[in-house]
Order: sequence, then C-alpha cells, then structure tokens
Amino acid sequence: MIQPSDTSGRKPGGSTALPLTNGGRPPTVNARIGATRVWWTRVTTYQPVIVDLIAVAVLWQISTFFFSPAIVPPIGAIGTAIWNIFSDWQNLISLLVTSLRVLVALVLSFVGGAILGICMGLFRGVRTYARPLLHMVQGVPALSWVVFAVIWFAQVELRIAFILIIATLPAFALYIDGAVQSVNLDLMQLGQAFRASRLQQLTKIIIPAIVPEIMSAWTVNLGNGIRVAVIAELIGSTVGVGFQLLQAQAVFDMAGAVAWTLSLVAVLFVYQGIISLCERRLLSWRPKGEMA
Amino acid sequence: MTSAVPAVSFSSVSKVFLKGEASFTACSGLSFDVYPGEILAIVGETGCGKSTALSLLLGLQAPTEGHIRVLGADPFAEFYALRGRIGIIFQNDRLLPWRTALENVAFGLEILHMSKAERLERSRHWLDRVGLGKFIDAFPHQLSGGMRQRVSIARTFAINSPLLLADEAFSALDEITAASLRADLLGLIGEESKTTIFITHSVVEASELAGRILVFGKPGQVVREVKAADMLAGGGNKDDVAQAIRDGLQLARQRNGDSALASPSTA
Repeated sequence: MIQPSDTSGRKPGGSTALPLTNGGRPPTVNARIGATRVWWTRVTTYQPVIVDLIAVAVLWQISTFFFSPAIVPPIGAIGTAIWNIFSDWQNLISLLVTSLRVLVALVLSFVGGAILGICMGLFRGVRTYARPLLHMVQGVPALSWVVFAVIWFAQVELRIAFILIIATLPAFALYIDGAVQSVNLDLMQLGQAFRASRLQQLTKIIIPAIVPEIMSAWTVNLGNGIRVAVIAELIGSTVGVGFQLLQAQAVFDMAGAVAWTLSLVAVLFVYQGIISLCERRLLSWRPKGEMA
Repeated sequence: MTSAVPAVSFSSVSKVFLKGEASFTACSGLSFDVYPGEILAIVGETGCGKSTALSLLLGLQAPTEGHIRVLGADPFAEFYALRGRIGIIFQNDRLLPWRTALENVAFGLEILHMSKAERLERSRHWLDRVGLGKFIDAFPHQLSGGMRQRVSIARTFAINSPLLLADEAFSALDEITAASLRADLLGLIGEESKTTIFITHSVVEASELAGRILVFGKPGQVVREVKAADMLAGGGNKDDVAQAIRDGLQLARQRNGDSALASPSTA
C-alpha cells in the first residue's frame, strides 16, 4: 500500500467538525453566544442593503416637502398602497401572474438557450452563424418586440411569452456558448483519454464545468426578464403588474405605481434568493474565496 | 522480450501537421514495439515528438503514414474498442474540481458504465491503496499537489487497464514528493503487472523506472535504445544507464545541429 508522504496532520478544508449535540442539555452560554454571532453575521451581510433602503426612504421623505403628494407621495401613502396589494387577492393575483410569467418564460428561454449555446460551443459552424443573429436580436429594443408581438399574436399570453423569450434567450445562449468554449481543455482531454462518448463528455465534464456561468446567466436574465415582463404586460393584458401600472398611470396614482414597482422588486429579490440558494448548493465544492 | 506479440507497435509512423501552406513534421518513420509486462521510458527534449507519439498512441489523432497497433487494435480507427484498456496519468492531475476524491476515482468507471455500488467500492479500495482512504470526501482544492496526483493514479488503476501511460507524471511535483510517488507507482505497476510507458524528459526518472529506454530526437524518431535491464544484469549500475541516456540525448542534439551543451531540463 502506498503511504502518502504529504498527508501528515492535514485535514481537508482546514477545519475540524465539532459535535452538534451536548447530550440533550439546554444550550450553554457558548452556544447562545454562537447563535448571536450567526445572527449578527447575517445582519452585517445585509447591512449595505438596509443602509441603502433607509437612505432612499429618507431622501424620498425629504423630497415630499418640496413636491406635491401627487408627484412624490409620502412614504406612509406608499406603505398603504403596498398593504393594499398584499391584502387584496385580486392585486396579489396580478403580482403572482407576473411572477409566474417571468418564471415560465425564463425556464423555456433557458432550455432553448442552453441547447443553442451548447451547440454553438461545440460546433464552430453553428457558432459562426448563430452569434451574429443573437447579437442582432439583442440589439432590437423590447418595445419593438412588443409591437411585432401585437401584430403577430392574437393571444395575450402567447404574446407576453414570445416577448420575454426573445428578450432573454440570446443572453442564455451567448453566456453558455462562452462557458462551453472556456471549459478547461485538460479536462476535455481527460474525457477523450478515458474514451468517453460525446454524451458522456457533455454530461460528466462540460455541463458540470459550466454551472457557475449558468447561474450568472440566470442572475442577469432575471432582472432583464422582470423589466421586459412589465413592458409586455402594458399592451393587451388584463392582469399583471404592467397592467396595474397602466391603471395607476391612468388615474395619476403615484403611490400605487411606486407600490407596484416595489412589489415587483420584492419578487425579484425572492427569485434572486432562490438562485443564490441553488448556487450555494450546486457550487458547494468551490473554495470559500471563490463563492459569489 | 516477454512475448512475441507486442502490446504496442509503431511501424514507420509519420505525422505531419498542415496549417495553410505550411507543414510541420512531428514524427518521421517512428518504429518501436512494447511487449506485455514491459516498462518502457521515452525520453527526449521538448519538441522532439513525445507528445505527438502519445497522442497517436491514444488514438486522438491519425498517423499521416504508417501503422499503429495497441493491444491488437488501431487506436484511432477502433477508438472505442480500447475503452478501459488504456490508463493514463497526466503531468497535472486533471481532477474534476466539482467531484470529491472518491468521485474522481470513479470517473473512469462511470465511463465504463459500471454500477454505482461496484464503482464506489472499487474507488474506495484504490484510494486506500494510494494511502488516501481518509480523504474520500475531500475536494481537489483541499488536497496537496502530491495527494491530488495520488488520486489521479488511483483513478487510472481503478479501471484495471492492461496498458498504462504516464506523461511527465511527476514533473509538476517537488523532487521529494516525486521520488516518493515514483517508488510507490513502480510498486503498484509491479503488483499489477502492467505494460507501462513513461514519457519523460528526466534522465533520472527514466533510469530509475524503466527496463528499456527510447531516446527520441527530432522529428519524432528513436535515436537510441538503452536496454537498462540488460545493462544492470550485466553488472552495470543506474549511473551507467543514465550516462547511456545522456549520450543518446547528445546524439539527438548533434543530429538536430543544436548546441552540444547539456540542457538543464535533461540533467
């Protein structure tokens, strides 16, 4: 048996696991201090966000002294409008519908973009012709796609799905193409040396290697998708945040418009939280310093 | 010679790379045989065609001329016929960073479609044999360079291939770790009776490991064959073998018209 000459005293990860129980006794002072530390670490992690929110709220409240409530409504009025959204089923449905539209479209867009991106990364011919096309599609303003969709599709849901997919698919495809091309050549040669089939190369080397870029693409496309969803819902839709914003604009309800916008931002944060959780789970193998 | 049928056979092999109008000859008329159970080293300076020969042997490229047989098959034309029959240890460990040590060792077995229970059992066995039984759940970044190379050795041995290739397997390690690993690898090769080809630019490594050494010169030709086992049996020692290899390298340099000064990389 080979005896490693360089393993003495070294533990993987550089840390030692501690027992998690103390025989069923109440938590000790040390355990309580530990819990407080965890809580404080969480607070300090979100500290910049909290500070930003407070700063924006203060500036907003100060500006209410200089502008009419119709233009800059007081924070209290916005709070009431937000409460109305979350306490009324009809309003809540609008928020959920928009969230669902974004989710479904992004999933479809990801599947299509991933297939195209992998083909682009693996086959030069596909990349040569697909890249300019994708860049061209990316250059078209979202509002143009709205106009095209209104002319092409009678069904509202189809129209919104088309706009969302066309706006987000190119980014998925281009991100994944770049990721496939940058997969470590040594690892690809490892697969070849072990005589892995093309499918095995894809599933055992390429896809696991591009997970970090896939997560980045999701993060970027999520914000993009939410913005485009609102634009898509402005025309023809009878439910959704875009529709609600249009209603608020029609009656000059600035508090309502801000409340709907903030609610949508909250949805974005929830989705980003889910992506972060997935990222932490899928990339748990990475050294701590490399985690996003 | 332990058998009449070679495990690896190169017959007048040439490899020419074309790039536009220009062409580059990496191998020219390369011929050699490796017999079952034999430990052979290929030594040569950078750019002498060692890597091309390895690539041809693995079947990653087709020869421009000549014939190659590996374990009775054409490695390029019958690529998948040799699946699981050639093991390779690379210069860098090439561990998959998202896999634990155990999962990395199991990689080759997954390619062979072995059942999960069987491949994990075999992977554990091989991690134990390379002395890393306590590190099965460690990720590559949690291991030292020497430990990572041990995991890659375990990955190669796990597939139980009759032919083993080692491409500059120790050159990325410090001398102490490399020496320890060389001795351990030689022990494993002896226990498993594998036909082995070491590709190296280190004279010391070649003289310590191989029973026969082929000294390569440009463009991908054998300029000298050093029968180390015969020299040692005839009363010679490792220093004599090393000197014979150095003479071969000197001859290769003279043929190339290079400086006769010894290169530090082959000292």
